[in-house]
Amino acid sequence: MTQQTWDEVGGLLPHDEFRAASDAIVANIEQVIEGKTATVRLALAVLLAEGHLLIEDVPGVGKTKLAKALARSIDCSVRRIQFTPDLLPSDVTGVSVYNQETHDFEFRPGAVFANLVVGDEINRASPKTQSALLECMEERQVTVDGVTYQLQTPFMVIATQNPIEMEGTYPLPEAQRDRFTARIAMGYPDPTAELAMLDGHGAVDPLPALRPVSDAETVRRLIGHVRQVHVADAVKQYAIDLVTATRESPDLRLGASPRCTLQMLRTARAVAALDGRDYVLPDDLQVLAVPVLAHRLIPTADAQLARRTTDAIIADLVHRLPLPHDRQRAPYDSRPPATGNGRAPFEPRRP
Amino acid sequence: MIAHRNLGLVAAAATLLAAAPLSAIFERWTWLIQAVIAVAAVAAAAALARLGRTPVWAQVLAMLGGLTLALTWLFPSGDELLAVLPTPATFGNFADLLTGSAEDMRTLSVKVPDTDSLLFVTVLGVGGVAVLVDVLCVGLRRPALAGLPMLAIYSVPVAVYVDSVPPLPFAIGAAGFLWLLVTDNVDRVRRFGRRFTGDGRDVDVWEASPLAAAGRRLAVVGLALAVLVPLAVPGMTAGLMTSLNPGVGAGLGGSGLGGAPGRVDLFAALSGRLNQSQVTDLVKVTTTEEEPFYLRFGVADDLRGDGFRVRGPNGQRVTGALPDPGPSRPGIERTRHQATIEVSRDLDMRLLPVYAEPVDFADLGNSWFYDPNLQVVFSNRENSRGRTYSFDYVRSTYTPQALRTAQPLPADLPLRRQQTVTPDVPQVRELVAELTEGKRTEYDKVRALYEYFSEDNGFTYQLNTEEGTSGEQILDFLENKAGFCQQYAAALAWMVRDAGIPARVAFGFTNGNRRTGDTFTLTNRNLHAWTEVYFDQMGWVPFDATPSYGVPGSTRSAWAPDTDAPEESTPQTDTADTPDETDTANGPDDRGSNQVEEGNDPAAVANDGTPTQSAPIWPWLTAAGVLALLALLAVPALRRLALRRRRGQPAPAVRTVGAPEADAAGTGQPVVVVGADPDRARADAHSAWDELIDTLVDYRVRVDQTETPRATADRLATEPLHADTDAATAARLLGRAEERARYARDPLTGEPLPAALSTVRAALAGQANRRTRLMATVLPPSVLHRWRATVADTSARLVASGGRLRYRLLRFSPRRLIAHRAGR
Repeated sequence: MTQQTWDEVGGLLPHDEFRAASDAIVANIEQVIEGKTATVRLALAVLLAEGHLLIEDVPGVGKTKLAKALARSIDCSVRRIQFTPDLLPSDVTGVSVYNQETHDFEFRPGAVFANLVVGDEINRASPKTQSALLECMEERQVTVDGVTYQLQTPFMVIATQNPIEMEGTYPLPEAQRDRFTARIAMGYPDPTAELAMLDGHGAVDPLPALRPVSDAETVRRLIGHVRQVHVADAVKQYAIDLVTATRESPDLRLGASPRCTLQMLRTARAVAALDGRDYVLPDDLQVLAVPVLAHRLIPTADAQLARRTTDAIIADLVHRLPLPHDRQRAPYDSRPPATGNGRAPFEPRRP
Repeated sequence: MIAHRNLGLVAAAATLLAAAPLSAIFERWTWLIQAVIAVAAVAAAAALARLGRTPVWAQVLAMLGGLTLALTWLFPSGDELLAVLPTPATFGNFADLLTGSAEDMRTLSVKVPDTDSLLFVTVLGVGGVAVLVDVLCVGLRRPALAGLPMLAIYSVPVAVYVDSVPPLPFAIGAAGFLWLLVTDNVDRVRRFGRRFTGDGRDVDVWEASPLAAAGRRLAVVGLALAVLVPLAVPGMTAGLMTSLNPGVGAGLGGSGLGGAPGRVDLFAALSGRLNQSQVTDLVKVTTTEEEPFYLRFGVADDLRGDGFRVRGPNGQRVTGALPDPGPSRPGIERTRHQATIEVSRDLDMRLLPVYAEPVDFADLGNSWFYDPNLQVVFSNRENSRGRTYSFDYVRSTYTPQALRTAQPLPADLPLRRQQTVTPDVPQVRELVAELTEGKRTEYDKVRALYEYFSEDNGFTYQLNTEEGTSGEQILDFLENKAGFCQQYAAALAWMVRDAGIPARVAFGFTNGNRRTGDTFTLTNRNLHAWTEVYFDQMGWVPFDATPSYGVPGSTRSAWAPDTDAPEESTPQTDTADTPDETDTANGPDDRGSNQVEEGNDPAAVANDGTPTQSAPIWPWLTAAGVLALLALLAVPALRRLALRRRRGQPAPAVRTVGAPEADAAGTGQPVVVVGADPDRARADAHSAWDELIDTLVDYRVRVDQTETPRATADRLATEPLHADTDAATAARLLGRAEERARYARDPLTGEPLPAALSTVRAALAGQANRRTRLMATVLPPSVLHRWRATVADTSARLVASGGRLRYRLLRFSPRRLIAHRAGR
């Protein structure tokens, strides 16, 4: 298997071609998941932003179905891991076994060696097993017995989980939650969509009949296109203001990480590209704030007692944060200070 | 509500207490009764208005109404309905009273009797202050500001009274103010609930809070400043400190006149005594004359470079026969009177106060002498302390016609040679030549010089001026035109001498303001100096140039009438009756006019009715004021118009960019690539968007700083403009242009942004109500908000930099340094 570096992912794609390819994927998924266009597009945006997706919701709303539909729509290697309490890290990453014939240890790749990894019920595995994902999700490599193996591009982990209050679940460690670009909730379909579902899926499951409409090569080119989307200084400033606000909010014990800022801007690029624009708007960041930020943050005990979820806290922040004054940065202008909103330098709170 | 009513009563009472200093200028207490009635009417009107929960402006109207009713009842013209409802005649009466009060203020000096006009002004002023205090305390809850109108009352006696006002009334007024402050604060604290002291316990309402230490410190610092600053500032010496310091104000009673009668600086003694804050009785006079002229005791006729000096007198014993001025002649009336004088133990000098031209003394021993030339009684051994004596004297009065017949004295007469000597001061000489030009008789020259010291020429009475009568000081006085009797008398004498007529300065007492029957009690306040001019065949004739309002008991004569009196009135008779043709329309307008204002207010001048006077200028001033106000009000609208015009300017949408390239066909013709200038388009989009936001602010559509342009445009299109498709499209276009300009690589070009802007504006204007539309045109909220924000930002920046500076200076705080050392 030839390994590609990050710089080799596709060239520039003509605008209409991008649109055709992305629309085809979305339409294909929607054959299975009815009435969830925004969610589907967000899932696709995460894929194009080279991120990982966490789908969290109550059982039976189609989490696994969305993950599998996305995987099947793209003609690339797909592996599935069913996370169970007795799953071991070596089941995820792979293991070296002794080959009798060659009298040597031989590496047998685990489930993560694929373009798309569907991790089902990820929070039913113990934290020990979940930790196996940490390296591959961030660094896109696996190290076993001192040997490092690179993963392919695109590489995306689509995990599903039940909310933490459900029986038999372990909470994901903060480090792993921070590696997921976005957490989306499926939500119940509206009545018309549910009726359409009954009509379409009543007799037969449409998932096996789903044909791939794209391949890994196309996805790489789509990713390359997303990387070219323009981000103005004001938008960057707004992203920084947003994450700074989470760090300074009195309701939050743990704020957003710099990795979060990066991933948010990347996802915003993808959203803008899917929207047919070649520039990012603050609107994109506002739309993404809750999915990208909410799952990484830890509310303070007071906020928890007041039943304020991180979603509500983030929505409130977005509602209160003024847009930065747009300033055209002169070519020889020095970079503005780290926190450009005129406040004192941020002192991180220890969680 | 209860608290408000309570506070209103306290405000009324505090106003009355603050009026206490007025007792210093009135002889009797009638004013207090009337002021109580007026203030009670105001307070009652305010309480009634508050019962109806009316707004503040209605309370003000009610209080003014109450005040008008009280004034009508107190000062009726006779035409009132039910004795309290005012009619036009009432306001005419008010206007007459106001005019009369101006007249009274000029002629009468403290303490004044109860004239109707003065009482009216007093009650009007106190009632007006009561209205103000009530509005400030109860309506606006700013009791500290109420101190200003209260202080205005206090300033009246300070301005009118030449000496310092007794401290007790001020203390009463201040107590009233403090009462007001305390009541308001207690009310506030009660409303707040518990008092937090920092001590961890509750404290009673009346107990001082430990947190109030800062306030106490501020009060101490303020008090110290108030005492120390006047000491440091030159020119503010007459006051508490001066009277505490025994060396300065010694005056006549001390060493001033105790020496030989010759070598005395009567001027210094005079000003010292006038400036003394303590009032002592010096002389008690009983005379058979109805309207006596001033009592005199000294003369300064030796004019040198450093001013008028007293010469040593010489003469004959008073027990002998004294020269008789002779019988009456046509134009000169001489009457003989008898006077008894009791000198108190406080007046200690070797001169005796007598009326001019005494002819026969009783009860005086051999050691007293009379100088017929200076007309003073003196002794070289004894002094005047505690002496009682009586004498006959001749009072001469002259008619101007008789004085006009006086011929110039021959130039070689010793008297003329001696008494017309002046140091050479060219400015004074020129002034005298200018004033006496065209005057033929001696008397007319003197009158011209005398009338020069009138209020029309800007002369005022002021006790706290530089002393001295040397040439330089006389020049200063003629320049500053403010002084007291010493300067007036000396300056007039100097100028008369410069005109070639003998003149000197006489010292003595005015008639004062404490008269019981034929007896006058004279104090150090009544010490006075005036000018005497020598006319051939007539003798020394007195002229008093000092403004009469500054001199209690001032007397004028037929040959030297009051220069400040109106032309048509005769001196001494024009106390209260004023011409009836006074325009009544101006009366009510004057109610706010300052009480201390003296005589020449423009309304009184305009009311004179003489056709020769120039047209009144107040309509022009009013028109100019209204115009200025309008211009001021128009500034925001003009600013908004200018902004809109600047933003609406169509920009040159295209510009040549790039270099000429060779034609693909190889013809060699350079082709200029014409494209839109992105910077220009960006600026256009920004200005269009700014204009849209300002328009939204103007028409009171919500503007949210957290919204993106797209969200704002969407909200506009769905909420206010959903009925108007064109406007909705235009708003979306503006939003798109702005977001492209802000965030995209290349901005939107070629779109009709100004047209879209005017569409949106028209649609918004169509939906707004009339009031909003009017405000958007006349006082655009966007401009006002921006100015307010700028002011707030500036002040915040100032405060912040001040705080930083303070923090930096704190490094040098001694407390900190000591703490460091202790810690080491």
